[in-house]
Order: sequence, then structure tokens, then C-alpha cells
Amino acid sequence: MIEAAEVAERALVAAGQGEVVVTVTQERSLTMRFARSSPTQSTSVDDVTVEVAALRDGHVGRSTTNGTEPEALERCARAAVLSAEVAASQAGAGDFPGFAPPAPVRQHDGHDPETAALDPGLGGQAMGEAFAVAGETRTEASGMWTAAEMRIAIASSTGMLLTDAVTDAFVKVVAFEPGGRSGYGAQSAVSAHSLDTGQVARRAARKAVTGEVGSLPSGEYPVVMEPPAVHELLGVLAWTAFNGLAHAEDRGALAGKLGTRVVSPAVNISDSPRYASTLPRAFDAEGVPKTPLPLIQDGVAHRVVHDIRSAAMARGASTGHALAAGGAPDGPLPTNLVMIGGGAEDEEELCAPIERGIYVTRLWYTNVVRPRESLFTAVTRDGTFLIEDGVVTRPLADMRATDSALGILGRLEALGARSVLVSDGELYGRRFATGSVCPPVRVGGVRFTGSAAHP
Amino acid sequence: MLDFLHEVIDAASRHAPYADARHVRTRFQGLGLRNGALASMDDHEEEGIGVRVQLGGAWGFAAARGSDRAAGEDALRRALALAEAQPGRPERALAPEPPARGSFSSPTQIDPFAVSLEDKLALLTEADSLLRAQSRVSVASSQLTAKLEEKSFASTEGASCEQRLTECGGGIEAIAVDGAGTQVRSYPGSHSGHVAQAGYEHVLALDLPGNAPRVAAEAVALLDAPRCPDSPTTLVLAGEQLALQIHESVGHAVELDRVLGSEASYAGTSFVPVDGAGSLRYGSQHMGITADATLPGGVGSFCWDDEGVGAQAIPIVREGVLRGFLSSREGAAGLGLPRSGGCMRAEGFARQPIVRMTNVSLDPGQAGSLEELIASTDEGIFIETNRSWSIDSKRLHFQFAGEAAWEITGGRLGRMLRDPVYAGSSPEFWASLDAVCSQAEWRMASVTNCGKGEPGQIASVSHGCAPARFRGVQIGSG
Repeated sequence: MIEAAEVAERALVAAGQGEVVVTVTQERSLTMRFARSSPTQSTSVDDVTVEVAALRDGHVGRSTTNGTEPEALERCARAAVLSAEVAASQAGAGDFPGFAPPAPVRQHDGHDPETAALDPGLGGQAMGEAFAVAGETRTEASGMWTAAEMRIAIASSTGMLLTDAVTDAFVKVVAFEPGGRSGYGAQSAVSAHSLDTGQVARRAARKAVTGEVGSLPSGEYPVVMEPPAVHELLGVLAWTAFNGLAHAEDRGALAGKLGTRVVSPAVNISDSPRYASTLPRAFDAEGVPKTPLPLIQDGVAHRVVHDIRSAAMARGASTGHALAAGGAPDGPLPTNLVMIGGGAEDEEELCAPIERGIYVTRLWYTNVVRPRESLFTAVTRDGTFLIEDGVVTRPLADMRATDSALGILGRLEALGARSVLVSDGELYGRRFATGSVCPPVRVGGVRFTGSAAHP
Repeated sequence: MLDFLHEVIDAASRHAPYADARHVRTRFQGLGLRNGALASMDDHEEEGIGVRVQLGGAWGFAAARGSDRAAGEDALRRALALAEAQPGRPERALAPEPPARGSFSSPTQIDPFAVSLEDKLALLTEADSLLRAQSRVSVASSQLTAKLEEKSFASTEGASCEQRLTECGGGIEAIAVDGAGTQVRSYPGSHSGHVAQAGYEHVLALDLPGNAPRVAAEAVALLDAPRCPDSPTTLVLAGEQLALQIHESVGHAVELDRVLGSEASYAGTSFVPVDGAGSLRYGSQHMGITADATLPGGVGSFCWDDEGVGAQAIPIVREGVLRGFLSSREGAAGLGLPRSGGCMRAEGFARQPIVRMTNVSLDPGQAGSLEELIASTDEGIFIETNRSWSIDSKRLHFQFAGEAAWEITGGRLGRMLRDPVYAGSSPEFWASLDAVCSQAEWRMASVTNCGKGEPGQIASVSHGCAPARFRGVQIGSG
């Protein structure tokens, strides 16, 4: 195993003079997949990314390598510096103001040494539990179990030398009844040992309901959303509303609205990197410490998140939300969103006042249609039901929702008391597990624009 | 490199009935300007080995960086441990395939990594300044990408091959903003522009600066354009938007892993039944779809896939009837097919191959040019360039938004319309296809952000198509 901080320091030396930030990210991960109650694919990754970001006259050039030998680090550093120098010579002065000075970072409890041992036996055991529940419930189990340890080090010419270590674990089960109806269960945590695959599988199986499937015409319906569906709404807001670059460029959904009521007064959303049960991080990709940031309080929009570049555009300071040193092209994002819960005991209580509505477990293929309006489209999946006279009565064909995320939260009527960490387990590129902590909610009306019932 | 892989495979053969090993070296370069400033200038290189074993019916795959013996041994040890940790299941048969042997390089005229950063930046700077010449353009973006992948592959069945694939491309985008909203226009497509398996000559041929004034002007014009009306009408699609329609509602739906249920928990399943080949009516008689990994310039092209199966052109739909699937050796064997379709692709060395699209294209028709197609359309909407996309987990119900639309009235293009959205159900939509333009209008577009797999993998693929007309489609503005 490499020593991330030592590699970062060597790369910093290789970069020579000038303003430079080096980030070393080491991933050790296991992912084990299954389908139709049988193992399918499994992946073990042991890899590292060394990123050198060099600043010249307001331009940041970046280069990455997964080599840690001196030649690889020197080549990487040269490429970053060359990129920045070419940009500075041809494009005039750039707009990046400079990397962050060292600042104290707070530690967190986001690392579990037992999870870091990466025992594939735990994944095999999880599969066995899922298959056993599937056998008991006459369903078939598909899903994934994954765990990882990430070690991050940042060294900079401004004097930073930071290290962080985190673990994450995730299990999901999608249960299929013989007719093809599916149900979803998932759990995410810092520790793989705290995952309860049996409970996740039973939750999924309960939603894979056999029976006549109803369908509804397009229209606006009252809805109860489970936390995974709420997590999708928060994801839309992260991109369209809380992104400081979009906001600074007047493209964001909160442009001109900070300080005003934008959603129901019952809504409180923050980015809270050390909130209970979240997946914490000590600092962002530019080495700026992670701190709690209120975004919407009592329905009023207060802040957006920034990296150094977007903060400079907004004449403010970075809030510690950079996804890359020098700023990611699409801007900064919150990665630890927390939506505070309310008073409803559970989803059953949330359904009680609804005469006729839709119960949504999760949303799928969410994509923004018009960002300024936070208008998105998505399809319900793995557990969509009809609510009649206050109770869930029967399965519904999946429905397409096309609505504004801010608009939906504006029509929010009640929140559940129990908030949970929700992660979608999508781990592209160098692993960066994130999740939001959110409760189930009831919304007075969500606009549905079609049904996915088979013709 | 192959000698090193043979050593790994020799060691693997003592433990597992089947194993393969890939060494992949990847170099990627991406440059982006945003309002005249450098938004990204990234140079990335990585190399490593991925070892896949089948043991006790379970697959184990492990990846380690580097190219030395220790990396190979470490990856093999972890792959075996993963396979052993899984609940047992019957051995899985693999469809027979002659061992891949030889080497291949995709053709290039100008090595994109040999072109100086100064020259690339000069091209983007010119395009950027032309985009910003329109005063209501708030954000001007331009980008170039280049990628070189050198892959070596060996297996316990005697495969031993190497290939070198080069791709590059670029694009521009203008975002216009006013109090009411934002409008965007891009060229040649909204997803990284157009990337091709080619050299820098492809980037030069795109003529990004030459298209910048039109792109900027259209973005601004959209701010004041009327909204696309809500109604069922005739829809004409072309270029990237039609390519993405093929990608989402045909390409993914005929991936055999989805059809068999083995992608059910993430990417989803398919409305296409496993016994549908030869009988399922997918669309009208005008619909022909081919998956072609031999297509010159396609970013889904190669000589061998990532489990050593030779590249092929597979008929997927003929005269509207489903004929085949995108498959792997395991999937093909499970379905009783004589051979894999050669569709196993992996992102880099640290991901295992999974069923992916090759270049899935709509065959050209006989409707002449786009101008002639419009001229033969009394009333409808022409939508260009993708802005948003979504489809359900069975690949049935979709909704797409385009960047811009134009009315078609009396066989002519009329007013520009903003915020066009259309929706439908895959088989109904393809059944409404009543005309496809001719070969002369057939072009490729690229999709470079196709996500699938756990851990996630991004794949690039090209889709060829000529403009096509669909009747009775639900249009609106979202």
C-alpha cells in the first residue's frame, strides 16, 4: 500500500516552482453483484489517482496519473505546468484567484478499520442472506453489495498537507415476483458491518407485490415519497439550485431568489458533512475544510455552495464544495445534503389524509429539462402503488413525473420523523461515495405526464 | 506486454478453468474554454492489469495498477478470492470463439497528441470569441478531447492480441439567459460535440469556428421564440437527437444481459422478450437497425471486444422485426446462439467487460434528402440536438427534450420554437416511422457518456442515421 501523503509531497517537489496543488486518492474497493438469486459479477479495485493542478496567471492546468514512481510523477507535473503555461500565454489572464492557504480541518468518524479490511466473505454472506429471503418470499433477488476504503492526501505550494481516510458500504436488493413486479430496499453506511442485508431484502420483497396492476392517466396527484425518491429531488436541487457556478452565471434556479421563500416553510435543507449517519469528509478537492452550510431554512433560500472559482465570480469565499482542484467544469456541488424531518411517524401516517394518490419508492433516470425552473423528468421504479382512502391498496404501473423540484417542495405538506442516509450506489470513475440524509414526505400534488404501462 | 499477460494466465490456469487478463494503457486529454478562460485542461494517463477468472460458476475480477509481475499476481489473487467468496452456482458455458490473435491499430491521419496545445487552444479561442460576439450569450463553451487506448488481451483458451484505438472530437455551446430562462444551442452535438475514432483531422473537419456564429445566434433567438405547442403531430428527427433515440429505445433494449435479467438491479431490464428474435415487431417496415463494430470512425468500433471476440456487424432489426441481440459469450451460450455478438467492453483496466453497445445504427432509407423529407411533410415539427433524456427501466416509456424545434407547414420549415419535448413508448414510436432519408444523408453522431455497470463504467458509442419521420407523436414543452 502506498503512503498517500508521501506521494503527494513527492509530486509537489516534482512540480517545481509556482502555485501547485497535488491530490492523491487511493481506492481499495470490493463490489459484488447478483441477479435472479445468483452471483453475476464481482470487482476488486486497488488503484490510485495522483492529480497535479498547476496555476499560471489565473489558469489551472491539470494532469493525472496512476503511477507513483518518480518518472510518472515528473511527467504528470510537467504536463500540468505546461497546460497552465500555454493557457496563460495564449488566452490572456485567467480568472482563478489562487489556491487556498492551509486551514485547520476537523476530523470525523467516517472511517471504520474493519470495513477497510475489505473481506469478500462479507459480500458473499450478504448475497446468501438476500437469496435466503428471496427463497422464503418466492421472489428473485438482484442487487449489489460494495465496500471501500479511500485515502486522500493533499499537498500544496501554499503550505497545505492534509490527509483523510473514509470507508463506505452499500447494499441494495431489488426483489422480483414471478409476474415481474419489483420492490426496492437499500442501506448505506460508513461500516459494512452495520448493513443488515436480510432486512433490506425483506423490505424489497414486501414491495414486490403480486396482483392486478393499475394505471393512472396523466395529471397531478398527491404523493407520498420514500427517502430514495426525496434523495432524487435533492439531487436535482444540487445541480440546478445550489450549484454556485450556475448561480453566479445567472442560470441557477435560485438566481435572484436568495433571501426569499422558495419552498414550503416546513423545508430545511443544509449541507452537513458531519451530520449523524452521513458519509463525512474532512475537506474538499481544493483542501478547503468541510463545514455545515444552511441552504434553505424554513422555506427561505439562504446560500448556494462554492468552490474557489465560483466564489471569486460571486465575490465570496469558497464554502468547501470543490469537486476538483481549480474547479470542476460543471461547478461545485453539495455532497452531504440533509433535509430535516417532521412529525409524521412513518409512511403510513403520511398516506392517511390522501383520498387518491400515488406512493413512490424511488425515481429513475432523473434528468433536468429546464434548469432555471428546476424542472426535471423521471420515472418511478421498484415500488409504485395506488393510495386510496388513506391506505396503499394495489400496485401501479410506473409513472413519469415531470415537475419542478422547487415546485414540489413548495407543495410539501408533511415530513416523516425518521431521516435515513440514502445513497444511489452509483460509483463512476474514482470512487466518491455520497448520500443525502432525508425523510419520507407527503406532497399535495406532483405532475405526472405519462404512464409506463406496457401497451 | 503479451509475455507478461501469458505469465499471469499460466498462473491462473492452475486455479481456474477459465481466466483472461487485459493490460490497458490509456491516455486522455481534454481542453475546455468557458467565456474565454480555461475551464479545463486535463491530461490523464493510467495503466494497469485486470484479471478475470471463472471459478465454481462465479466470476471474480480484480484490477491492479502497473504492469509488473507483482501487480499481475496481486490481481489474480484477489480475483480468485472474490470468486471463492460467492455462493456456489453451476459452471457457466461460454459460446465458442477461436482464440484472438494478432494486432490492430485504428486509422488516423493526424495523431491528436502530436498537435500542440497552442494549436488546439487557438482553435477553441477563435470559436469562443465568435460565440461571445452575440451580446446575449452568457456562457460560451468550447472543448476538444483526445484518447488513446492500448490494450493487450490473453486468455486460458489461447487468445493473444493487441489493439490501439485512437479517438478525438470536439464541440461548442452557447447559453443565452434572460429573466425568463436559459436557452442553449450546441454543435455538432450536446454531449461532448462529436467524437470519432479518428485523428485530429476529424476535429478540423468539424469547423467549430465556422459554426459558432449560427450557434450563438440561434441560442439568442430561442429566448424570444414561442414555446413548442402541446399536440400529437408529425415529428422529424435528425442527427444527435435521432441517434440518442436509437441509443435509448433500441440499443439498450436489445442488450442481452438486460433481456436475461442480469442487469435488473441497476441499468434495468427490457420490454424485449428473450424469445423475441424473429417474431417481435419492433417498428414499421421502414426500420432497419444494425450493430456494427467494424464501422470506420465509430467509437464503438474495434478489432476484438474485451473478451477476445472478433468484431462483427449484427442485424438487430430488419423491416421492423427483431432479429438479434447485443451479446457476450456467456449470454450467447445461455440463449443457444452459435457465437457471441462481440459486445463485451470495459472502461479502462479497472473495470470488467460487460455487455455494451457497439455502433448501433438506423439503416438508411429511400426518402431522399432532408429537404425532400420536409417538402413531403404537410405539417409537423422538426427537432434538433438533445437537451434532456429519460426512459424507464424497461426501455419503454421515454421523454426527450431538444434544444430547438421548427414548425413544418406546407412542406417548409417555419418559425423556430423553444423548449421542445416529445414522449412516447418505444414500440409504438418505432411503429410510427414512415420515412428515412437516403444514404447520402446518413451521418454518425457520438454518445460519450453512456453509463452502466457497478462499479459504474462510461462507454462511448456512435450511432449512424439519416433524418427520419414519425407520425402522431406527442409533442409539448415539458
